[in-house]
Amino acid sequence: MNVAAVQPAAREPAKRGGVSAVSWLLIFIPFVVVFLLIGRYLIAGVVLAVTILWAVKDRKSERLPLAPLAVFSVSGGLLIFFIILPILNLLFTTEPSRVVSTALDPAVQSALFITLSAALIATCVSLLFGIPLGYVLAREQFAGKSVVEGIVDMPVVIPHTIAGIALLFIFGRGGILGAPLKTHFDILLSDTYWGIVLAMLFVGLPFVVNHCRDGFLKVDPRMEYVARSLGASWLGAFFHVTIPLTLRALLSGAIMTWARAISEFGSVAIIAYYPKTINTLLFEWYNFFGYTYTKPLSTLLLLVALAIFVSLRAVATLKRAEY
Amino acid sequence: MIKLEGVSRVWPEFAIQDVSLHVSEGQYLVIVGPTGAGKTLLLELLLGVHRPDAGRIFVGDREVTGMPPEKRGIGMVYQDYLLFPHLDVARNLAFGLRYRQCEPEHARRRVQEIAQLLGIQHLLHRFPYTLSGGEKQRVAIGRALVTEPRVLLLDEPLSALDRGTAARLRSELKLLHAAKKLTILHVTHDLSEARHMEGPIALIKEGRLDALGTADDLLRRPPTVFAATFFGAVNLYKAEASQMAGGSRVVAGPIVAESDLAGDGLHLMIHPDEVVLIPVEPTGKSNQLCGVVTALTDEGNFVAVQLRVTGLPAPLTAYVSRHFVRSNKLELGRAVTADVHGAIHVLKE
Repeated sequence: MNVAAVQPAAREPAKRGGVSAVSWLLIFIPFVVVFLLIGRYLIAGVVLAVTILWAVKDRKSERLPLAPLAVFSVSGGLLIFFIILPILNLLFTTEPSRVVSTALDPAVQSALFITLSAALIATCVSLLFGIPLGYVLAREQFAGKSVVEGIVDMPVVIPHTIAGIALLFIFGRGGILGAPLKTHFDILLSDTYWGIVLAMLFVGLPFVVNHCRDGFLKVDPRMEYVARSLGASWLGAFFHVTIPLTLRALLSGAIMTWARAISEFGSVAIIAYYPKTINTLLFEWYNFFGYTYTKPLSTLLLLVALAIFVSLRAVATLKRAEY
Repeated sequence: MIKLEGVSRVWPEFAIQDVSLHVSEGQYLVIVGPTGAGKTLLLELLLGVHRPDAGRIFVGDREVTGMPPEKRGIGMVYQDYLLFPHLDVARNLAFGLRYRQCEPEHARRRVQEIAQLLGIQHLLHRFPYTLSGGEKQRVAIGRALVTEPRVLLLDEPLSALDRGTAARLRSELKLLHAAKKLTILHVTHDLSEARHMEGPIALIKEGRLDALGTADDLLRRPPTVFAATFFGAVNLYKAEASQMAGGSRVVAGPIVAESDLAGDGLHLMIHPDEVVLIPVEPTGKSNQLCGVVTALTDEGNFVAVQLRVTGLPAPLTAYVSRHFVRSNKLELGRAVTADVHGAIHVLKE
């Protein structure tokens, strides 16, 4: 069923496919320049050719350049250039065979496994605790609510090295909770896998909580009332109506948390330098062997990050946008 | 069937105050009131999603005051339908059955029955966002009926629909009510909708029950000034009351009436269609007023004659036929006598 046919279009969207001066300045020129700079002349030529063909094909929809818009677009284009230059440089100037051989290195594989799995556990734990908190923040008005919301956001603004040290004072060998855990249960968090999970949880939590809250805010509470009038208990309404309707928000919150956890280095390195995560390994290689040596590993990590990014965008544009 | 005893609930920005109401089994009660009067909140208190601070609520012979909504056997339909967008029509209809021990085969049959009853069999596999407003409302009503509730609450069920669809659904609701012997509470702000439903009408004002009665009662004999104004009264005058044997004497300018009501804040209401205009000088009988025509408005089926009457703070309006205007040569500035004898109703502030 075509959504557009049923729902009246709010506003005629900007015509796609047209090549205006603005899109030249923002997209095509930065890409062409980047490929020229990194010595990929062929790709630069292809991009240019495709763009020109595109422009010729759609020349009727070409819009007149407006002077202020052009100035803004040039400055915007510089920003795009700044972002894509290092990324494309890394992707295109690393030999694929070296990336593959790095990926086959047991130390890399172990670090990658530790990173991805610890991040996954941190994400699951943050969902377990973040969904209830997000729900309360979305549905209830209470004194100090803005304080709670501020606290949730704190891990985002605290420098992560400081977060690591602060966590160490609590969960470290002699920490407030770490010491009794060690004496009574023989559980040690610092310099263990679970220390990594802890640090990742700390820095990733805000994303899950905020995404959950925003998702729940979009579900009319009366939807839950109706479910309850039909016989659903409070939990039934929550799991059969509210959660399905917030699935997209929950999923994108989880992916954001996972991505944040994977990229975390500062607090992880302080609370648990060993076992090594992929970032710790990268840092170590950089310290001992210099930056050219880390290039294949960086590229590998970049590919992992890009895969996550693409899946996040895919979730965000999931069909059923009609709810 | 439904009984509210002194139900109150205070929110920071609004309060439902001391509402007592009795709706007998199979009745169709229409609740009217201006926007923001608390009609929806009253329904939600009945539904059980809000707990009253004081008072008791009964459904049938059970007290349900502290009971969660799922145990009350009350169905709810909102103005904006609130169909579950992630479920198709069939699964929306079947939603309530999953919480009852119900064989899949029986559930399927039940959904078919309800769909047939509401004429939505062809929509079963569509998703809510593809439906028109009228179709959505039928599905929402069907979804509420599937679990066979004893009471159905309708919150402005027709307000979001176009006129034609609303009129059709309104008639269907009446048929459904008769066929299913349901007790229905129907909230609306539309007076013609309220009158069409032919049941008693409860008027809510600022979280309180202001008036309760049949449409005819509330139109002809509104108990309060608010009810009179809400139901469109045109001639309302503040009156003075004085004690007399067996009641009180109520006076507003040249108009005099007797009433059981006493005290301050009494008003007189003159029914414009009961005023008798006589194109001659007054004979001196009481409640024959001498007036001058100040406006003539053709209202289609009748003509509204506005008179300036000495001693009355506001003009008096009388409804007459076109024939009367023509044959008596009524025109602006013409002096006439208005006999309001049989048109007076006394009411409270």
